[in-house]
Amino acid sequence: MLFLQLLLQGIQTGALYALTAAGFALIFGATRIFHFAHGISFTLAGYAFLFAWNAGWPWWAGSLAGVLAATLFGLAMERVVYRPIQRHEGSFFTVFVAAFGVAVVVQNLVGMLAGRGFASVDTPLSRATEVMPEIFLAPIFWIAIGVAVVLFVALSAFLTRTHAGVALRALAQNPDLLRAYGLSSNRLSMLAFALGSAMAAPAAVLTAMTTGLNEAIGHHVMLISMAATIVGGVGSLRGAALAGLMLGVAESVALQFVDTQWAEAVSFLVLFAFIIFRPSGFFGVVQTR
Amino acid sequence: MTAYLANLATLVAIFGILAATLNFVVGFAGIFSVAHAVFFGLGAYAGAQVALQLFPDALLACLVAAIVAGGLSLCLALPALRVRGEYFVAASLGLQMMATTLFSEAKAFTGGIGGLVAIPRPTVAGVEVGVLPLALAALALILFLTARLQRGAFGRTLQSIRDAESAAEALGKNVAAAKTLAVAFACAGAGIGGALFALHLSFVNVESFTMDQSVLVMAMVIIGGTGTLWGPLIGAILLLSLPSGLAFLPFIPATEVGAVQQIVYGLAMTLLMIFRPAGLVGDLSKGRATA
Repeated sequence: MLFLQLLLQGIQTGALYALTAAGFALIFGATRIFHFAHGISFTLAGYAFLFAWNAGWPWWAGSLAGVLAATLFGLAMERVVYRPIQRHEGSFFTVFVAAFGVAVVVQNLVGMLAGRGFASVDTPLSRATEVMPEIFLAPIFWIAIGVAVVLFVALSAFLTRTHAGVALRALAQNPDLLRAYGLSSNRLSMLAFALGSAMAAPAAVLTAMTTGLNEAIGHHVMLISMAATIVGGVGSLRGAALAGLMLGVAESVALQFVDTQWAEAVSFLVLFAFIIFRPSGFFGVVQTR
Repeated sequence: MTAYLANLATLVAIFGILAATLNFVVGFAGIFSVAHAVFFGLGAYAGAQVALQLFPDALLACLVAAIVAGGLSLCLALPALRVRGEYFVAASLGLQMMATTLFSEAKAFTGGIGGLVAIPRPTVAGVEVGVLPLALAALALILFLTARLQRGAFGRTLQSIRDAESAAEALGKNVAAAKTLAVAFACAGAGIGGALFALHLSFVNVESFTMDQSVLVMAMVIIGGTGTLWGPLIGAILLLSLPSGLAFLPFIPATEVGAVQQIVYGLAMTLLMIFRPAGLVGDLSKGRATA
């Protein structure tokens, strides 16, 4: 029974990982920018929600504030950091270090302003009840899965059915050709950042309601998103989401065999094995840059 | 005050070793490792165990540390041979996270979270010595080796791999061997730094070998200037004197010094990448520095 409980717990965590990972994969796939500050969108969204909640705002207004914070941060990164760097030099490492610097700065600022340590909001949604003998589930389990499925279907529909979505996928495949067709790659890249960053917000809000946030959580989220994107295969949103779900389940189920402190190491063991044995991931094309 | 300065100088020398060796793989071979603290840690634990279990001979400790760190560097060389760019950074991050967990859990070798305590003072051939001269000697040796390797055939091979891997391979260079050797050299150097660190503090625990430390060393290399000889050392001096410098500013509360320090170097990294990606030293001697 413990196994089933851990599996369900893992699916809940995994659904949230899948959302954040899909956001990261969308940005990386479309713009080829290794957005290492993606976790910060998550942190900012979570804390925006937390402050709004504590100020007595209704949940939807708080969530909106979270989405806004994440999106604005993503856009600001694109405009202020990534674009100037890509203008004079496109080296991936320059981009990575700059993003890392921003992540370090924001993480410490959040720690100074919002206090260090875990903070969470208490809602009736996160109270677990016994649904089956020895199996405890909170309503938030269903909400997490529902939100993940709805957003993912919406994103897929956007990418395949709308003009802007198709253009985004074209940007991923051939930016030069896209420009030749008279579309602005700058504007599309901003769209990718806005959408991808917004994807982190629902996960952040739900995390604030369950396990809670701390100032360093963005870091963890970032590493998981990155791992999921690579394990799933770069360029494949479906792969990233599935891998995110899988990493969440693996982390949780591993608890039956090892102690909690190994949970994160399990994710990275999976990542490491994939990079060595199958760098293209589940669904990716073979590409070892 | 002298003791304080000697302590700072020792740390600068040790971190200078770390930054110089990381620079060797990042700047010359184009292998962007974010796992340097892992090998620093391996060396520190190996050196500490030698001093605790056998006898506190500094040279023996350094030798064992270099062998352990250099040998296990295969963990890093393996992904470096398979993938490049973002993928390799991801792999090295994964290695760093796994190693942090291992360091805090493998209690027999590392003492767990509590760490290894009461490491005896180092000796050389039975005579007790300070760590400062040893660290300075090691730093000088590593800088000398780096300069030699950089100008020699090996360094040229590495730089050609960094700039155009396929071209280097087409010219008959053994890319796999060159990368493995470069990683082994850098990690062995980090291991020596680790052993000296353990002997200097006579206490080590996992806190010193986390991802934050890897990033700090990375920041030293970047801020100083990748691919230059002196840049990493200058980066180490700057970043290590930063906390003591900030401590003198009265308007920063003591509890926030760590956070302010991180903000300063995070900001420095980002701004440098936007405006001067070559780093401080790389900018002063344009063109020549990376050649």
